[in-house]
Amino acid sequence: MNRLFLFFHKTGSPPWFYNFSGKLIPWLWAIFLAMTAVAMYLVFFNVPPDYQQGETIRIMYIHVPSAWMSMMIYGLMAIMGIIALVWRIRIMEVLVISSAPVGAAFTIVALLTGSMWGRPMWGTYWVWDARLTSELVLLFLYFGVIALYNAYDEPRKAAKAASLLSIVGAVNLPIIYFSVEWWNTLHQGSSFGGDGPGIHPTMLVPLLLMAVSTKFYYGANLLSRARLTLVKQDHRKRWVQDLLEEERP
Amino acid sequence: MSKQSAGTAFTALLRRDFLLAYRRRAELLQPLAFLLVVTTLFPLGVGPSPQLLADIAPGVIWIAALLATVLSLDSLFRSDFEDGTLEQMVMSGQSLSLIALSRIVSHWLVAGLPIVLLSPLLAMWMNLPGEGLSILLQTLIIGTPVLSLIGAIGGALTVSLKRGGQLLSLLVFPLYVPLLILATSAVGAAVVDLPYGGQLGLMFAGLIAALTLAPFATAAALKLSLS
Amino acid sequence: MTPTRKRRLIGVVVIIVGVGVAAVVAMKALNENMLFFVSPTDVKEQAMPVGKRFRLGGLVTAGSVSRASNSLAVSFTVSDGGESVDIIYDGILPDLFREGQGIIAIGALNNSGHFEASEVLAKHDENYMPPEVADALKKAGHVEAET
Repeated sequence: MNRLFLFFHKTGSPPWFYNFSGKLIPWLWAIFLAMTAVAMYLVFFNVPPDYQQGETIRIMYIHVPSAWMSMMIYGLMAIMGIIALVWRIRIMEVLVISSAPVGAAFTIVALLTGSMWGRPMWGTYWVWDARLTSELVLLFLYFGVIALYNAYDEPRKAAKAASLLSIVGAVNLPIIYFSVEWWNTLHQGSSFGGDGPGIHPTMLVPLLLMAVSTKFYYGANLLSRARLTLVKQDHRKRWVQDLLEEERP
Repeated sequence: MSKQSAGTAFTALLRRDFLLAYRRRAELLQPLAFLLVVTTLFPLGVGPSPQLLADIAPGVIWIAALLATVLSLDSLFRSDFEDGTLEQMVMSGQSLSLIALSRIVSHWLVAGLPIVLLSPLLAMWMNLPGEGLSILLQTLIIGTPVLSLIGAIGGALTVSLKRGGQLLSLLVFPLYVPLLILATSAVGAAVVDLPYGGQLGLMFAGLIAALTLAPFATAAALKLSLS
Repeated sequence: MTPTRKRRLIGVVVIIVGVGVAAVVAMKALNENMLFFVSPTDVKEQAMPVGKRFRLGGLVTAGSVSRASNSLAVSFTVSDGGESVDIIYDGILPDLFREGQGIIAIGALNNSGHFEASEVLAKHDENYMPPEVADALKKAGHVEAET
């Protein structure tokens, strides 16, 4: 227990976080770039066209990981929000609000690639299909968090309000998801069971690679944003002044 | 001062809210007038074809109810916040969740219930078939308290902001999506003689969940706004 | 117990009980019959009124699609294994519209008992594979989809 507290205390201290994340970020970027390069090579040169969807299947490798990330990040924001509000850890507040733009960006990418795929396949850029609609609602939830954060003058109060809102949103998110799914889905529930052949291995490997590499991208982007926010918030504090001194030749 | 019991405090707050509402009755009528005007715009905008109006009636009435509720939400905590009453309430030692709940109950009684009472008129304007009316009333009776409950969280989060009203709608509308879907689908199902018990049941579950969770979230948001 | 503690305890109990009750009510409601589209069997059994718009869902019967030569008009049959309904549609069908595929049509019955659709939606299945694999599977009788 004591060790856990110590860990929280240490990671909770801005200078330590700043230094540690600074060392971590280049590695995260490197892994992201390497994995994405391999995955993209496979996607464009190794993956065969699909038996029904043809070449448009290649859109899936951007679309599906982005959609997964968009939901995962919102869930993480809620978890970090709970930690931030219950144990009053400032780093967590900063991480919540730094996650929101990344999550919103993934959501936008998922929506755009989805409608690019929908045009040839469904015959229209946009249908009010369940997944598209819940993704759009998710985007509005992200916008809400970002707008609430920006509306406050005081950054710490703003971050707490944003944390609380993301918790409320996360409680609602599954309900929104299921209600929208049920409201309009083009699925023929029972006629395609779970016993179909699923997804072929040559197509699956790059998808999984992309799914993992996007998480590294999120990590790198999140930590860079959090560092920047911390320095901005603490620009009058000692540790930032010291940092600036070091930078000066 | 002796400490009051929670029940007495609750009723005292309700009585105060009603008195205030009665003194500001013109302000209360605004969202209702808005409800009527918005609904009137639809036949004018999409054409007076009875079939078309009947098709979109549940959706239009529910969306108008959402808009009217959000319009009245901004003032839910604002005046109490600005004149310091809210701070006094926090210092009174009573549970803030309970105070929030009493505020939500009075909001529903003065803003939500009138929407339910006006809805037969709206249904008539929108040419909603007779089978749909009773179920529309049921969805509104279950649904409008949820609008007040969820909306109170948004109202509490934005109360200390200068232009909270616009932000409030952005925060609250995505959270209203499931309710809108269930309510309009229940009315739509009733009109074509499909079963609608499931939708109503889910809305009722939503009401219970919102009733237990929203006051706590509202209290947390109020505390944050006051800090 | 101190008053704050007591209050916190009451709060936790209220939340647990409330969420529990809500979950039970929701489970019960989900067991009720909720329909998002009407199946051909329902159409036949319930005698849908003419001109009433609804969503009709089912699988496109193999060999039932016939297109007009000089316009976009197309007619086909959907079934749910039991009953089937004839659909008339005048417009561009989505790429994934195929015989044997599940579709949802939005429209209303006309006087002659046909379903006049104003919109037809198709859904791709959740299988992604190269054409050769699909062919092999089709030979083995696993997939009915036409390519």
